[in-house]
Amino acid sequence: MTTALANPAEAILFEVSKPGRRCLRLPELDVPKVDIKAALKGAKLRAKPAPLPEVGELDLVRHFKNLAQKNFSVDRNFYPLGSCTMKYNPKINVTLLSLPGFTKAHPHLPEADLQGHIELMVTLEKWLSEISGLPAVTLQPAAGAQGEMTGLMVIKAYFESKGEGKTRTKVIIPDSAHGTNPATAALAGFTPLTLKSTADGSVDLAALKAMIGPDTAAMMITNPSTLGILEPNMVEIAKLLHTAGAQLYMDGANMNAIQGMVRPGDYGVDVMHFNLHKTYSVPHGAGGPGAGPIAVASHLEPYLPTPRPVRNADGTYSLDSKRPDSIGKVRSFFGNYGALVMAYIYMAQLGREGVRRNGENAVLNANYLRAKLRGVYHIQNDKACAHEVVFTDKTQNAEHHISALDIAKRMIDYGIHPMTIYFPQPNVVGGQGAMMVEPTETESKETLDYFVVVMKKIASECKDNPEIVKTAPHTTPVSRVDEKTATTNPQLYCPMCIA
Amino acid sequence: MPFIQNTDADRAEMLKAIGVGSIEDLFKDIPANLRLKMSDASMLKLPKGKGELEVTRHIHELLAKTKNAGDYAYFRGGGIYNHFVSTLIDHIALYDGSFITAYTPYQPECSQGTLTFIYEFQSSITALTGLEVANASMYDGASALAEAMMMGKHVSEDRHRKENRNTFVLAGAVNPEYLQVCKTYADVAGLKVVQVATGADGRVDGQALAKALTRKVFAVAVQSPNYLGVIEDVEAVVAAAKENEILVVQAVGEALSLALLQTPAEAGVDVCVGEGQSLGNHQFLGGPAFGFFASKKDWLRKMPGRIVSETKDKDGRRAFALALATREQHIRREKATSNICTNQSLCALRALIHIAAWGKQGFVELAEHTVAKTQYAISKLTSVPGVKLAHTGAPVFNEFVIQAVPGLEKKLLKKKVAGGLPLDKYGKGRRGQYLVAITEVTTKADIDRYAEALTEAMKGKPVAV
Ligand SMILES: Cc1ncc(COP(=O)(O)O)c(C=O)c1O
Repeated sequence: MTTALANPAEAILFEVSKPGRRCLRLPELDVPKVDIKAALKGAKLRAKPAPLPEVGELDLVRHFKNLAQKNFSVDRNFYPLGSCTMKYNPKINVTLLSLPGFTKAHPHLPEADLQGHIELMVTLEKWLSEISGLPAVTLQPAAGAQGEMTGLMVIKAYFESKGEGKTRTKVIIPDSAHGTNPATAALAGFTPLTLKSTADGSVDLAALKAMIGPDTAAMMITNPSTLGILEPNMVEIAKLLHTAGAQLYMDGANMNAIQGMVRPGDYGVDVMHFNLHKTYSVPHGAGGPGAGPIAVASHLEPYLPTPRPVRNADGTYSLDSKRPDSIGKVRSFFGNYGALVMAYIYMAQLGREGVRRNGENAVLNANYLRAKLRGVYHIQNDKACAHEVVFTDKTQNAEHHISALDIAKRMIDYGIHPMTIYFPQPNVVGGQGAMMVEPTETESKETLDYFVVVMKKIASECKDNPEIVKTAPHTTPVSRVDEKTATTNPQLYCPMCIA
Repeated sequence: MPFIQNTDADRAEMLKAIGVGSIEDLFKDIPANLRLKMSDASMLKLPKGKGELEVTRHIHELLAKTKNAGDYAYFRGGGIYNHFVSTLIDHIALYDGSFITAYTPYQPECSQGTLTFIYEFQSSITALTGLEVANASMYDGASALAEAMMMGKHVSEDRHRKENRNTFVLAGAVNPEYLQVCKTYADVAGLKVVQVATGADGRVDGQALAKALTRKVFAVAVQSPNYLGVIEDVEAVVAAAKENEILVVQAVGEALSLALLQTPAEAGVDVCVGEGQSLGNHQFLGGPAFGFFASKKDWLRKMPGRIVSETKDKDGRRAFALALATREQHIRREKATSNICTNQSLCALRALIHIAAWGKQGFVELAEHTVAKTQYAISKLTSVPGVKLAHTGAPVFNEFVIQAVPGLEKKLLKKKVAGGLPLDKYGKGRRGQYLVAITEVTTKADIDRYAEALTEAMKGKPVAV
């Protein structure tokens, strides 16, 4: 099949490179030309120019447009990747973000020139505060994982101020949690303790009680959980922790389900993070960027990162860095400001009604899929779900030795991006391969019905034509990819880029 | 209803299929007293939603209360630079939904577009740094440096098992944003961050550095060009770190400098991190852009972040896939090398397009153009009476520090010149110093205007010594 490589559009950039080709030109130099070696006297220079590709503009555009076609994306495909909230990203986000007022906003401009930006940040903080039910917000964390870290750092600083920094060293994390939770706890200098979930995926109160002690700093809880279930005992959980002097951190990656329906602060949550790239339509960007603001209770506010955007009594805006108890900075400047702008534009369009409506429809859509596919795929917890429904491969595996991975790959042939698979981990879903489906509120009933038809078709293929499932996908530019070799014998760069 | 396609009829049908009477029935696990009542206006105090026209107007109103680099002869950098960004980049990365509305390429068969560009991006970073492994991006230069610090600690835990090395040395003038982020990460990890002062030439003080690099140190980082614009002797830092087997990290604030300067690999560093904004990313008040992270292959399994490898499909065709996921949080959980999940891939794509659009020759020309303009700016500004270079004797690339007098900023802004960034707060003895940044966007006319306005502003001021 190597003939495909002969098409220049199929080659990688380094391979189509030819000396002398280029796209961009500089203006004529309007200052005296200098001898580079003399101008940089005392600096060691590189032996050879970097072996970068040389391509013309048409080949460059064609290369990337060709790559574009090899990607599934929300703009072209239903993308029910659970836990990631792959909703539609309104076009106006990127159009307005392209205004020079944003693209050329330099962080070292004088504060007087940044008034509109600081106002935007203050307002966005206020909205997130309103939705979280927690009084203070920082927009600095670049993504959910960095929000988690910031939250735990704030908790740590709080305990240090009370002289309990040395004793409160443990963070309790349910086994169903996203991997970033335990990784963050370790990074923030805590010892993570794993709490086993009950059979229906909620927190085992008795086990939690037994685990909480004087060394507990916090519990990190995801609500709705990664099993797509609303935690019924949030209030009790918060009480248990607070009685023991510990804090409750809520991973708000799944806020899409409960925004406008309940404020986490009302449960007793002390800190939570938002994933603006999930809940508030910041595009996921082939992996990022996102933004992971955190909201905190008032006793934690003094520790938030600086600078804090503030509104002054006279209606002007400032950046306040005089916060002696602050943990410092977690990211340079103001975080992923461009992502914050997109979330702001989106939320301004949603308004109060829209926030509530999004949550309701996200949950409705997920439950509709649960109802329609019940009996076709096994559901560990067949009760009302939140924004996502977790099926497993139990039936298909037992009857036809077909795994969640095979089913996911077969979906691609029907133009649907696979759901999240094997998360939550098998130990949480009875040893089965999880298939976590998050349709989001932006999908129409027709798309959901198509999904149902496809999933039923695949289930019957598992019976009638298992090979077609096991060898899927069949319609993609490449067939099933050997991911093992990618790890055992990694080839991480094109040989031409080392001259 | 904005962004929702379900009609009332759809909703009714769906509720029936589910077997509940109302949507709120699906939220029964939330105690009734905590469920927000939309009829109560005191709950959820958010404004009414705006349509596209209104929100566009509103954004224009907000922006009317701002100025940007384009409104001035602009001379500020300090980590974010006022570069030209080709329209090619926005057409591919912003307006075409194929990359921007995809996510992490977990399923390689329908993500070859993303995987291929990440591989090409990694290759470009390898081409620029000479280091064999680059990841798919970090949040920014600052957190990339903090991650390098954490990696240095892990490497040392393996290499120097019983020593329990705990100190991270920052050699010389590191961007204060990077320093602060490193300190925040170090605080909770129980690590010590020590900064070694700069000498008169603006480079790290070699003797002080040699003294600081004891066997308590697991890693040392040097920024080059450093925060003062001065190009460091990275090789000398590598040599100083050798005896005690200290991991050497080079941080790069202006990635364009890699076009001309000795590569991190040639200098012998272990890890090179940096801020990628200057490669095709807009300023956006400092983000999103991305951090890059490249390493010698020795440390591959300790690296943070996603990494893409070339491999094959089952029919033997070339394909790309995520590799070495066992380092990452979704597999390794608390034992992961880092907690990063969502990264800044789209910004890395922008960098790749930028690099390819300038190409091998153009990228060098861009750097040379910058050097020429920087030299012109130095000669022009230091010919203003009372103004001189703060550091002499070591080369600079795109930034330099002038010594003038404090309090010039406002006078220059009035003349539509955003002069160099005042360094008064950066450290002791920096009163009246300004960090001046040049890019290809800077014109001779801008520089002349700066010099003129500076001359005016300096009139009658005591001459700096
Ligand atoms: C439940 C949950 N928590 C945390 C995260 C981490 O967020 P991020 O990828 O933005 O770092 C994710 C998603 O990736 C998630 O799904």
